This record gives sequence, structure tokens and C-alpha cells, in this order.
Amino acid sequence: MKIIITFLKNLPAPLFAKEGNNRSVFDKEENTSLWQREVRRDFINTIHAITICLAIAVIFLLLISSASFAATAEDVMKKSQAAFLYQGKDFKSRVMMKLVSKGGQERIREMTMLRKNYGESGGNQKYFMYFFQPADVKDMTFMVYKYPAKDDDRWLFIPAINMVRRIAAQDKRSSFVGSDFTYEDVSGRDIEDDTHTITKEEKIGNKDCFVVKSTPKAADVDYSYKLSWVDKAAFLPIKEEYYDKRGELYKVFTADEVKEVKGFPTITKRTMKNLQSGHMTEVTYLKADYNIGIDDNLFSERFLKQPPKKWIE
Amino acid sequence: MKRFSLVEFSVNHPKLVVALSIIITLIFMTQFPKMRTDTNPKNMLPATSDVRMWNDEVEKTFSLYEDMIALGIVNEKGVLNKDTLSRIQRITDEILKMKGVAARDVSSFTTIDNVSVEAETLKVAPLMTKVPEDEKGIEYLRKMLYENPLFINRIISKDGKTTAIYVPLEKGANGKEIADRIREIVKKEKGDEQYYIAGDPVARDTFGAEMFKLMAIFAPIAGMVMLTVRYLMFRDLFLSFALMMDAMISIVWSMGLLIGLGYPIHIMSSMAPVFLMAIATDSMHIFNEFYFRYRETRDKKKAIIETMRAVSRPVRNTALATAAGFAVLLFMNIIPVKVFGGLVAFGTVALRILSFSFIPAMFTFVKDEKIEKIARSEDIGSDKTSQFLMKLAGLGIHKPVMTVLAGLLLFVVAIIGIAQAKVNNNLVEWFKKGSDVRVADTVINRALGGTSLGYVVAISKEDDYIKTPEAMRYLDGLQRRLEKLQVVGKTTSVVDYVKRINVVLHDDDRKYDVVPETKDIIGQYLFLFAMSAKPSDLDNVVDYPFKRANIWVQLKTWDAQAMRDVIKAVEEYKKDNPTPMELKPSGIAYFNLVWNDEVLGDMVKGFVLALIVVFGILAFDFRSVKWAIVGYTPLLFTILLIYGVVGFIGKDFDMPISVLSCLSLGMAVDFAIHFVSRLRQRLQETPQESLSDALLWTVARPGKGIVRNAVLFAASFAVMMFAPLTPYITVGAFIVSMMLLSSVMTLIYLPALITLLQGWLFKGGLR
Repeated sequence: MKIIITFLKNLPAPLFAKEGNNRSVFDKEENTSLWQREVRRDFINTIHAITICLAIAVIFLLLISSASFAATAEDVMKKSQAAFLYQGKDFKSRVMMKLVSKGGQERIREMTMLRKNYGESGGNQKYFMYFFQPADVKDMTFMVYKYPAKDDDRWLFIPAINMVRRIAAQDKRSSFVGSDFTYEDVSGRDIEDDTHTITKEEKIGNKDCFVVKSTPKAADVDYSYKLSWVDKAAFLPIKEEYYDKRGELYKVFTADEVKEVKGFPTITKRTMKNLQSGHMTEVTYLKADYNIGIDDNLFSERFLKQPPKKWIE
Repeated sequence: MKRFSLVEFSVNHPKLVVALSIIITLIFMTQFPKMRTDTNPKNMLPATSDVRMWNDEVEKTFSLYEDMIALGIVNEKGVLNKDTLSRIQRITDEILKMKGVAARDVSSFTTIDNVSVEAETLKVAPLMTKVPEDEKGIEYLRKMLYENPLFINRIISKDGKTTAIYVPLEKGANGKEIADRIREIVKKEKGDEQYYIAGDPVARDTFGAEMFKLMAIFAPIAGMVMLTVRYLMFRDLFLSFALMMDAMISIVWSMGLLIGLGYPIHIMSSMAPVFLMAIATDSMHIFNEFYFRYRETRDKKKAIIETMRAVSRPVRNTALATAAGFAVLLFMNIIPVKVFGGLVAFGTVALRILSFSFIPAMFTFVKDEKIEKIARSEDIGSDKTSQFLMKLAGLGIHKPVMTVLAGLLLFVVAIIGIAQAKVNNNLVEWFKKGSDVRVADTVINRALGGTSLGYVVAISKEDDYIKTPEAMRYLDGLQRRLEKLQVVGKTTSVVDYVKRINVVLHDDDRKYDVVPETKDIIGQYLFLFAMSAKPSDLDNVVDYPFKRANIWVQLKTWDAQAMRDVIKAVEEYKKDNPTPMELKPSGIAYFNLVWNDEVLGDMVKGFVLALIVVFGILAFDFRSVKWAIVGYTPLLFTILLIYGVVGFIGKDFDMPISVLSCLSLGMAVDFAIHFVSRLRQRLQETPQESLSDALLWTVARPGKGIVRNAVLFAASFAVMMFAPLTPYITVGAFIVSMMLLSSVMTLIYLPALITLLQGWLFKGGLR
């Protein structure tokens, strides 16, 4: 952008200089009539004007197209965020998480997850989670206030000692309940935190996808860049590849099942696989639902301790 | 009689034989570029062995890394200052970028999870996300470090002067490359800090490099030493070279075969060239006899054939005995020892075939005048060596009882020495004292929890049992008991995390530094921990269904005894405190213990086998059990003496020594075979001679060959005493003393015993 502006500023000078040059050439033709000179001058001016106009138009077009490209990549990600993490006013689902170790050992997490949006897509959100499994954590609840461009607030209720604790949330890249998903993978990453470019378009299965490369602006992230395959129709991420600081592929996200729920295409089965540790997490959404009218006061310490049955069942 | 035709054929077609030998050698040589080494101590035992299967299972269950490099950072002024901390951060960042490093599980100030409470907020985050700017920040970090028992002796020493970065490696990563790159990184840092790189992969790869050094530098030096000594003995460069070639050819054949069959070179097989070179000296007897014979016949061809006729039987049988001594190793449990046995046995057989073909062929190329010149000096009467040997033997012949009694006394002393020996394999002590590997190990062991790692795995029958307070308390008690042992530097288990969370959730109230009351609390604490910590934190200490827990036991020494102490303490604790859980040892320290015991078992088994086999060969060769017993005694005696000395000086009986016990029998028995067969031959050839005169002749003529053989043998192994790794030094010293002692013992004790027992030995008359 900067380059183009500088270019524009510098542009007129050589153009006028050129004109001055031309004029002096005509000035030398002393035997030509004044009229003739007038006509010629007019003609030359017109040509100059056209040239300038054309140049500006070309530059403008260039500007537009580059801006529109940039806008497209960011746009795709914004639309994807909206479709993936901000769909509806609120959302509820029974979530089954299966953590599979390299050796094939499994751990199950079962919870009800409630989410409510505050404001536009990319804005604030509140999450409420109630755990059913593992058995000894039944009744445990977890609440997240998610703010873009700011550390989340997190609270955990530990029923065995009847205690609600605030949990520091410095690192959005840390594991979500011991799975291969990070908090960010669950609740989303600020679009502005990365620079996005569309590297290519590709078909995955029968879905046409944009392939977007997102490179974090800050260095404190565990990956150097991410490639997302975003479905052109529903704008859901079909696949994501995370590359580590050494440039090696190390985590792969796949959307394994997409269903329509109340008209919203929803990823109901997803997998995150860590290629380096061999660990894998499969997540299944059961009974997913949108726009069920979750109360604001659900997201409070009181309900953390005693969540209303109607919301968690 | 087939072999005789081989000799004759070789004498008649010398050029063909030599050309053929060289062509075969070149074929074997083509295999050399495929050479690879294996320095992983794990491969001492087969992959299917119980201990390895169990260790693999434990590694898999608890997502443990097979290989870990520890970078120790020492600052005498303390590591908790801005400069050192910045360095730690920089170095860690660089390490995380390295290929082959399991970056997700590198433990350092900037990556290790710390559970803390701050303004009522529970925090699970890396200990140090950025270097503290001021004194206050550093004080806070100090508080965090020393408050958390999980950190003390792991990433910070009690005196605050030492920290460590633990770098786990991905499977198949090259430990040496990574260690070298870490060295480069720390070299860039200028400051007071000292850096020490320790860990299994580093030791292993250093070992591999030293092994190549041994083969590429020490074996050739040994060859040169032998060449020189031989030249001094015979003053004939051509023959010295012929013998040298003989050894080289067999080395190339056997190493080529080993590599061609796809076996990696291991510590034991790396010694094979030196062994083969030494065994090749047995053809000394051919030379020895040849010069004597030539003096008598003055016909080269005839002398060769006669020589071969005279020495063929002893040479053949000594080769058989040596090969058998090594072949016994094929029955051992330790793989490298097995491979080594087969390798050298093959080489020995190859050597003997060469003795009957290549060597006679080479003889024909020597000019007659030259042989004449050398042969002239080979005269019993005027030769100083022979005279000295005759004096030595006179001792045994004239005062047999005294000699034998003196021997018995020594025997008793030796037994006492052996009783004091202790079987131990300490892999780190295979490196010399001042070596980088050992220094790093010592520094880290002194300051932190210990580099040798063992595990105690608690196995319950039902899922989630580990979450019960009784299981937790049990493990806690066991850890405290283990920590009382001198050799244990630190223990870590899932209990430490639970207790830590209990304290932190109760605002750092030390009262809560205990196992919580109920299973639910424990389960929820663990869940809470797993919500934000690195998955490996929990995975390393507990399995998925919470059925098994893993206690990490860091040991301050690599001695096998350390893990034995741990196991004993575990058993005692279990006896005092019954539990439904099974407690099983695992880890590299446990592997070393098992392997160590295998070495002992192998030593006993191998020794007994070698005794039987060698005795059988002797009896077969002499066609007499009586003579076999007599021939056996001096060499058995020598071995006992040497082991006695090993016991007295307190050197560990380790794998190389135990292997030598079998080998030395097979090698030293050569002397007895030569002596007895030549004596009996002499008695038959000269019926008018008295027994003592015949004995004296034997000592002077074949005896000289024996001593020459022993000196050559010893000379080649003496080179190994300057090697950079202690097992080589041990082997060198052992063989040198073995050879010299057993040759002298043979020459003193055989005449003494034969004189003393002549009535029994020559029952049917002297002849």
C-alpha cells in the first residue's frame, strides 16, 4: 500500500516534466501558425490527460484488486469464524470427547457445552460446561468469558471441596481439558492476530475450498503458520494443518461430519491429531441445538455450583 | 591327510594360493562400506527378552521417551540472575527449534509447568514466561522454585547454583548431532556459566566414536607393534609381513562376513581385530619349527613339509581349542558376546586354513640364504632365551614338590581374592575419569537428582484405583522410604502433583501438603491439573485408566547395585505394608541390573562350558585324560590367579572380564597343547633320553615358541591399555597378564607336575 501511495505522489512530476519537454520541442517550430499550435497543444493536452487518467485507473485497479485479495482472505476467515464458532445467538450440545494416546489408550470426557454470543461475530462470548465424565468429576463445571484481544476469564467449580476457583488464562494455546484441542481451537482465535493469505483453491472430497495461510503476528504461539481449507459454500473449516516452528506439520484438524442443525451447517464430528506425539482427540456433538434462549444469569458463580437441570441435561 | 595335500599344493602352487587369498579378501572387503555400529546398551539383550518387553510396555503406557539429553548449567554465583536466566531462555528457544527434539516435552525454566496460586487465581503455566526485569521478579521466581518440591533437584539444585534443561529426543533422532548442536549454542553464550551435557544418547554416541577409533587406530597400531616385535625375533621383514598379512586377511574375512550378514559392530566385536591378530601369532610355532628344521635338512620345500607334519597336530588342535573357547560364547544370553564369539571362532578357523596354505606358500618366496642366516641363530645351546627357559623349567623339574606347594599357597590366596570380587557393570565408568561424559555425569549427579533413571510401577487390578487415597498414601510412603536410600536422589509420582494442587488450592497452606481425603477430591484435582498442564505431565506418571502409577526414581550412580537396593527397599516396604497393588521395577537402571545379572550367569555358564570343552579337546588331542588333567592345571591356575588379583584390587567384574574368562581358557590352552604333544613326540623320537632331558629340550625348543607366542600376543594387547575406554584397557591388561603368566606357568608347572606324577602318567613305562 505504502509503495503505491509513494508511487502516486511521484508520478505527476515526471509526467509534467515530459510535457515541458514536449512544449519546448513545439516551441522550436517557429514557422507554424498560432492556430496550428493551439490545435496541437489541445491535442497534446488531451493525450496527456488521457495518459494520466489511464495511469491513475491502472493504479486504482491495482490497488482495488490487491485490496480485494487481502479482503478476501480475511473475509473468508471472518465468515468461517462466524459459521464455525458464532453460529446462531446461542448454542448447546452434549459433547463426547475421546482422547486416544499413541499406544491406543483412551480417556473419555463427556460434557454439556453451552455458548452464548454477545455482539457481533468475533465479539464477546460466554461458555458454560458441565461434566458428566469421567465419573469422579461429575458435577464439575467450567465457565469461560471470552473476550477478543484480551485474556479470557475462567472459573472452575470443584464439587468435592465445594470450591469455585478462578483459573488464570494467560495461554490460549494450552490444552483444553487435556485434549489435543487448545482453548483457542474451541472458542476461536482473533482474526487480527494473524495475517491471512489465500494460497490456492482446492477440492476436498466434493467441497470446493479456499486454502488460507494464517501466520501469527506474535511469536508466542506454538505454531509458525496454519493452513485452513475453508468450504466455499458453508464456510466451515474442513481441514487445518498446523506447522511448528521448524516448519514441520505437527497437528491436523479434520471436520469428519457436517450436519445441518436448524438450518446451520454444523461440524458434529471433528478430530485433532498431533502427529509428533501420536496423540489424538475425537469430538462428537450430540443433540446440537441453536437459539434456545439461554439466560444471561446462567453464566454466574451461583449456577456454576448448582447448574439448572434444564440447561445441562 | 587332506590337510597335508593342502600344504603340498600350496608349496607347489604358491602364486595361485596367494592370488586366491587376496581375491577372497577383496570380496570380503566390498562389505566394509556397509559397516554400522550399535552402542545402545539395550541391545545387549534381545528385543524379545522379558526385561525389554516390559520396559517397552512401560514406556508406551506412560508415554516415556527412550532418550533424553540433560544440559546442566552451573553458575557458581547462582543461576537466579538476569543474565543467566536470559541465557537459559535463549538456549531453550534454540533447542526447541532443533529437528529431532521432542519440543513439546522439553523441560526448562521457560517450559516446565508450574501450578501456583496468585491473587486467588489458580495458575498452571510455564514457570518463567519472560526473564524477570528486577530483583523483585527474581525473588518471586526463587519463591516459586523452592516452594514446589517437583522442581527441587530437578531443574534447580538446593544451593541454586545448578539448573538443567532436559531434552527428550524423538525416536530415531541422532543424539550426537543434537548434542553437538547444543554445544554450538552454548558456545555462543559468554558468561560465567559452565555447561555439561549428559545423558544416555551422548554417552552412547561418544562410545561409538571411540569404538571406531579403536578399530581404525588401535588395531593397526597393535599390528605394527606385532610386526616390529616379530622382526626383532626373526630379523626377516618379509616373513613378518607374511604373518601380518595372515592376520589381516583373517580380520578382513571375519569382519567382512559380520558386516555382510548385516550385524552391527558392538563393543565386543570392535575388539575382534586385536584378538585375531593375537591369535594369528599361533603360526609362530610353524616359523619356530621351520627354522630348526631348515637347519637340519637345508631343503626349503622339504623343511616346510616336515615342519607342517611336526606341528600340524598341535596347531590344528590349538586352533580347535581357541575356536571352541570362542564358540562357547554362542551359548550366552548377551547378544554382542554371542556375535563376538562366532566372529572370532570363524576368524580362528580362517587363520588355520591360511596357516596350511597361505603361510607355506609365502615360505617358498623367501630366499634360501636368508633362511640360512636366521636359522643359524636358532640354536638351543647358544640361544640366551632357550638357556633362560631351561633354567626356569629346571626349577620345576628339580624341586617339583616345593614348586607345587608354592602354587597351592598362591591358589588359596587367589580364592580369597575371588571371593571379594563384585559383579557390576557401570556404563558411565566405561569412560575414563576425566572424560566429558563422566565429568558431566558427576556434576549433574552431585547437584541434581541423578542421571540414572529407574521406575517403580504400581499395578492395581481395577481402574481408577490409583485415585484412591489409600493408593496415594501408599505411594507417598514408598517414595519417602526410597528417598532414604543413599543412592536415590529424587522420586516423583502422581502423588506429588495431587499434593501440590491441594496446597495451591488452599492458598499455599502447608497444612494441605498431604494426600486429600477422598477419591473424588483426588480425581477432581487430577482433572483440574490435566485441564491446563501439558498432557505429558500426567501421562508420565499415571496410565489412562488410572490403574497403574509410575514412580520415577532418579539414582545418583549407574552401578547395578543401586537399583538392587531400590528393589530391596520396595520389597521390604511391601512386606511391612501389604497392598493389593503389584510393584514392579522398570527403566534403564533396572535393565542394567538385569543385564548385569545375566553377565554373572553367563560368566559362570561360559566358564563351566569352556572348562568342559577345552578339557575334551585336550583329552582328545592327548588321547589321555590324565595328560589332559596335567595340561589343564597350569592354565586354570593362571586364570584363578588373575581373577584373584582382580578381586583384590576391587575392580568390578564386568562384561568384558566375564567374557575373557571363557576366552582365556581357549587361548592359553594352546601352550599346554604344544608343550605336551611336543614332549611326547620327543620321547618317542629319542628313546634313550631321560625324562628330565626331554622336558628340558621341550622347554628350550617348542618352549621358546610358546614364549615368543605369548610375548607377541601380549604386545598386541598391550596397545589396548592406552585406549580411551576402560573396557578396552581392562581387556588389554587382562590378556597381557594372562598370556605372560600362563606361558611362564606352563613352562614351570608342566615340568614340575610331569616329574611329580610320572609314575601315574607313564604307567606302562616311560614311553
